[in-house]
Amino acid sequence: MIDVVVSDRRTRRTRAGAVTGALALVAFALFILTMMVGSYYVPAWDVITSAFHLRDDPSVDFIVRDLRLPTATAALAVGFALGVSGLLFQKLLGNPLASPDFVGISSGASLFAVSAIILFGAGSTMISASALAGALISAILIYLLAWRDGISGYRFILIGIGLSEFMLSIIGYIVAHAELYEARQAMTWLVGTVGQAGSTELRTLLVALVVLVPAALVLQRPLRVLELGDDTAKALGARVEVSRLALIAVSIVLIGFATAVAGPIMFVALIAGPIAHRIVGHSGGGIIAAGLVGSIIVLGADLVAHHLLPVALPTGVITGIIGAPYLIWLLATVNREGRGG
Amino acid sequence: MIHDLRAKNLILGYAGTDIVRDLDVVIPDGRITVIVGANACGKSTLLRGLARLLKPRGGEVLLDGTSVQDLRSIDVAKVLGLLPQSPVAPDGITVADLVGRGRYPHQGWFRQWSTEDERAVAEALEATGTADLADRNIAELSGGQRQRVWVAMALAQDTDLLLLDEPTTFLDINHQVELLDLLTDLNRESGKTIVIVLHDLNLACRYADHIIAMKQGAILAEGSPIDVIDAAVVTEVFGLECEVVPDPVSGTPMIVPRGRHHAARQRVTAAS
Repeated sequence: MIDVVVSDRRTRRTRAGAVTGALALVAFALFILTMMVGSYYVPAWDVITSAFHLRDDPSVDFIVRDLRLPTATAALAVGFALGVSGLLFQKLLGNPLASPDFVGISSGASLFAVSAIILFGAGSTMISASALAGALISAILIYLLAWRDGISGYRFILIGIGLSEFMLSIIGYIVAHAELYEARQAMTWLVGTVGQAGSTELRTLLVALVVLVPAALVLQRPLRVLELGDDTAKALGARVEVSRLALIAVSIVLIGFATAVAGPIMFVALIAGPIAHRIVGHSGGGIIAAGLVGSIIVLGADLVAHHLLPVALPTGVITGIIGAPYLIWLLATVNREGRGG
Repeated sequence: MIHDLRAKNLILGYAGTDIVRDLDVVIPDGRITVIVGANACGKSTLLRGLARLLKPRGGEVLLDGTSVQDLRSIDVAKVLGLLPQSPVAPDGITVADLVGRGRYPHQGWFRQWSTEDERAVAEALEATGTADLADRNIAELSGGQRQRVWVAMALAQDTDLLLLDEPTTFLDINHQVELLDLLTDLNRESGKTIVIVLHDLNLACRYADHIIAMKQGAILAEGSPIDVIDAAVVTEVFGLECEVVPDPVSGTPMIVPRGRHHAARQRVTAAS
C-alpha cells in the first residue's frame, strides 16, 4: 500500500526534475543563440568562451560582451522574474487570470514611468526607479482596497483590474497632452523591450533574483496549503496572512524590477505559469520551471522581434501577439468550467 | 489519548454581528458529536471557532485547559483537524499529492518528507478506500470519491480530534451513509473524537453519540439523541411540525415532517 504513495511521489518528482532540466537547456541554448545572430555572425563556441571569460579575443569580446550580452542577460532575467512572479500570483489567488500584469501592478509601474518621462523628462535610471515605485504603490493600494477580514482572490482581481483601467486612462491622458518627442519615448517604453535596459537596473534585477527566488522556494511550503483555501490552510496550522503577504511581496518586487528593466512586457507573467504547469505535470510548485518558461518566451520573442522580421520590433509586440490569443482561449475555457473571472 | 475541548462564554461573529452568543459547550472525548440546527443558526461558526479559525469576540475555547488563542496554530493543528465546508482543490492535483498536504503541521522547514508521512498518507488512503485512486487527478473523480479524498487529507493530518463541516453536502443518500459509516469506523477503531455539522436530522440521530441542537447562536438541547430529540424540540429548532417515531433500523429518533398537503389523504388511505 505504502508503495503507491512512494511511487506516485517519485513519478511526480522525477518528471518535474527531468522537465525542469530540459527547460534549462532550452533557455541556455536560446541565450547563446541570441548572442550568435545579428549583423555579424559569431559561432556558438566563440560566444560561450567569450561570455564566460574562458578566452580573450578583443574583436569577438566587443560584440559579445559589450553589445549582445547585456540584452541577452536582460531577456533571461526579465523572463525569469516575470514567470516566477506570475506563477506565485496565480497559485496564491487560485485563478489563472490573476497575473500581476493584469491586476494593475504593471499599469501602476507604467503610470509612474510615463509620468517620469513626460512630466519630468527623466533619464533611464529615474524611469526605472519610478516604474518600481509605481509597481509597489499600486500593489499596496490594491491590497488595502481588497482587504476585508483577509484577502479573497476575486476581490483582489476585480479591484486590481478596476485600478488598472483607471491608471491606463490617466496614462492615455498624459500621453495625449505630451510633446511629440516625449510621447514617442513614452510609447516605446510602454510596449516594453529588453534592449532598453541600463546596466545598473540590470544588475539590480539580478540581485533581486538571487535573493527572491530562494525566498520563493522557501515559501512554496506554505503556498502548497494556501492553495487549498484559507480555512483548510488555517486548520493545517499555516500562518495564512503572514505567508500570503510574503508571497505577494516577493511576486510584486520581482515584477517591479523586471518592469523597471524592460518596461511592461505583457502576457509573459500570464502565460509562463500555466505552460510550465502543463509540461511539468501535477507535481505542484514548479517555480523554477515557470521562471525558465518565462525566460524562453522572452528570449524567443526577442529573437523573433529583432532577427526574423524584416523590421525590428519591440519585444512586447511579439509577446502580445502570442499572449492575446491565449488570453481569449483562457477566458473562453475557464468560464465554461465556472471558474476564473 | 484523552483530550478536552470546550468553550466558555464563547461569543463569535463576523463584521459587526454576533452569530454565537455566550455559549458554553463541552465536546465529549472519544465520541461522535453531531451539531444540528436551521440554516444560519451558527453551527458552522461554532465549528470554526472551536478549530481556532475564528477569533472569539468574547469568552474562550479551551483545548486541554489552554485557550487556543494562546497556542501556536501549528500545535493546535497537530491535535485538532478541521475539514471546512468548501475546500479548494488546485488545478490538476493528484489524490496522493492532495492527501500528502495534510501532513503540513508535522513537517518543518528542515524536516520535509519522512517515512512517517508516507505511512500516514498510505493509512489515510486505505481507511477511506481511495488507495487505488492515488495517482488520479482530483478533477476526474465523482463527488463521493472527492469527498472521501478530502476526509483522507484530514486523516493524514493524524489528529485525535476531527471536526467536519457538513461533509455530506452534495452527496447522494448512499454516499452520505457510506461517509458516516466511515467516520464511525474511525471513531470505533482509533478512538478519534469526531464533531460533525449535519443537515439531515435522521442521520444525525442515528450516528451521533451526543447531539447538539442549536438555535440563533445558542444551544437549545444536547445529549443522547434518544433522550433529547422529540417533536417539541424539532419544532422549536426548525419551526417544523412533525412526528418522531423510532427508526426501524437503529431505534433512534426518526423525524417525519407533517407538511400541509399529504397528511389527511394518507390517513384516509390507511383507514380504508
